[in-house]
Amino acid sequence: MAVKRQLSMVLDLNKCIGCHTCTAACKLMWTNRNGREFMYWNNVESQPGLGYPRDYQNMGGGFDADGALRLGRQPSQEDYGIPWEYNYQEALMTGTDPWLRPHVKPTWGANWDEDQGEGDYPNSYYFYLPRLCNHCDNPACLAACSRNAIYKRQEDGIVLVDQERCRGYRYCVNACPYKKVYFNEQISKSEKCIFCYPRIEKGLPTACAQQCVGRIRWIGYRDDEQGPIHLLVEKYKVALPLHAEWGTQPNVFYVPPMSPSKYAADGRALDEQRIPLEYLESLFGPRTGEVLDTLERERQVKAEGGDSELMDTLIGFKHAEMFKLS
Amino acid sequence: MTKRFILHGTVACAMAFTAAVAWADPAEINPNVTEIKPGDSVEVARLPDNIYLRTQDDPDDIIWDRLPTYRTELFPAPPVHPSVKLRFDEGAERSKHLYFQVARTSERFYVRMHWKDASQDSATTVDSFRDGVAIQYALNGADTSYMMGSGPEKPVNIWYWRADDEQQVENLAAGGYGSTSSLDAQNVTGIGSYYPESVAQDSEWRVVMSRPLASEGEHEVSFDQAQVPVAFAVWQGSDNERDGNKRVTHTWIMLDTGVDDESSS
Repeated sequence: MAVKRQLSMVLDLNKCIGCHTCTAACKLMWTNRNGREFMYWNNVESQPGLGYPRDYQNMGGGFDADGALRLGRQPSQEDYGIPWEYNYQEALMTGTDPWLRPHVKPTWGANWDEDQGEGDYPNSYYFYLPRLCNHCDNPACLAACSRNAIYKRQEDGIVLVDQERCRGYRYCVNACPYKKVYFNEQISKSEKCIFCYPRIEKGLPTACAQQCVGRIRWIGYRDDEQGPIHLLVEKYKVALPLHAEWGTQPNVFYVPPMSPSKYAADGRALDEQRIPLEYLESLFGPRTGEVLDTLERERQVKAEGGDSELMDTLIGFKHAEMFKLS
Repeated sequence: MTKRFILHGTVACAMAFTAAVAWADPAEINPNVTEIKPGDSVEVARLPDNIYLRTQDDPDDIIWDRLPTYRTELFPAPPVHPSVKLRFDEGAERSKHLYFQVARTSERFYVRMHWKDASQDSATTVDSFRDGVAIQYALNGADTSYMMGSGPEKPVNIWYWRADDEQQVENLAAGGYGSTSSLDAQNVTGIGSYYPESVAQDSEWRVVMSRPLASEGEHEVSFDQAQVPVAFAVWQGSDNERDGNKRVTHTWIMLDTGVDDESSS
């Protein structure tokens, strides 16, 4: 879908510490009320893991090789996790209930499998994957909507659900392979990440990016050759979309995670990364190895006291250089 | 002779039974109900002014026992959007019988519909879809497409009852797929009730929708014409039906409003 300009985000997974500050910022700003309690427009999941909603990577959706919509499954409330609240008032204030307890029995939720990962000690591994709407060039949600209720803004490529047109049919929820459109029971309409457009329009970055403690997020326009997105995605080609094979052409890119070396049974460090390359390739595609080599090489240059534009960018010295919103 | 008679009787019975099975579920055969096919005409019953309806849209009002009931068969709507097509089994023939009655007083127009539904789906949640029923009127003659109308020149007016809301009826208009819009005047009222039976398959929804005879605005059906083309749709929430995933009357049933008769008499 051709738009005049496209906003984009790059996330460096090597810097993510899994603190969920982005999620908390997003939730406080947009989703802690009015039927959105179960939604995480931004979430951070441990990978390898089932993710949020549970097992979304096997729910279908997106496009097939011919560009036709693929059938997608609707996540259940249980797959998202049913939000629970505690009886703080009764247990801690009035003392009328001796137990502090949740009002529903928690059986699943976002991050239920946090930090589990894969592999056996000392070769166990995992990394954090923050996810938000990819504001795709070819949004499956938009293609799936029979109401023309989803549109992509010409000026910045942000994908939005027109709340006047939406009638809650949930084809978008089924069609988005990333499961980043949610059904709000209270209003019987679908809602999703809006890339904090009211902030963007004031020249401010999204809440998730602004609050990021690890400074892992860059925001800018794809066509801004002086901006960080162009440098990371086009010039050094170190940022890759998640599951490009789903055919939606995401505008959120990830710098794949490097990992420490694997250990042999006798404790020797092997010349092999702890996170299997095949696994990373299953997420970020065939160029992952090449990207990891570039990162390794540039990091070495910097370590030896040399100059590396790529490393200086990835360090993220100043917010003003990380967010180029004009 | 006797033997022969019995033999004939058995064959006749068997034939009659086979014939009946071929066109309808035998459990639904009821001599007091007239089978209506698309293209047929149905007369709108006239309620005399001395009949008083206790509750305006009571789906169980005794008056409905005294008015003719019609039955028509609804079939899966042909998919017109890839999202619907993905969920459509080719050649789907799962049909459903909808019973309907149409009546008017000197002030209001009433439609009553009932259909069997083994499950009452009256919530719209992340995990479930609601039941619903709609009646669609062609605003500009029967050459309008029964599938949501044919463009702005040949639109349709739709009364949609949904099983889940406080304000249960929506007054809509459309001129082609994907164009369904809410009208400014929400003057259609309706009440639906679910009647559970010990055999779940016999449970049914009964819904009455009505509107003042006088129409407001160009996208509301006018009952001031001799014939009004109508079509019906039913959504089964338990089958994840919504939008174009529904069962509908294929082409129009004509309502004879009796308007001409009155003006000539």
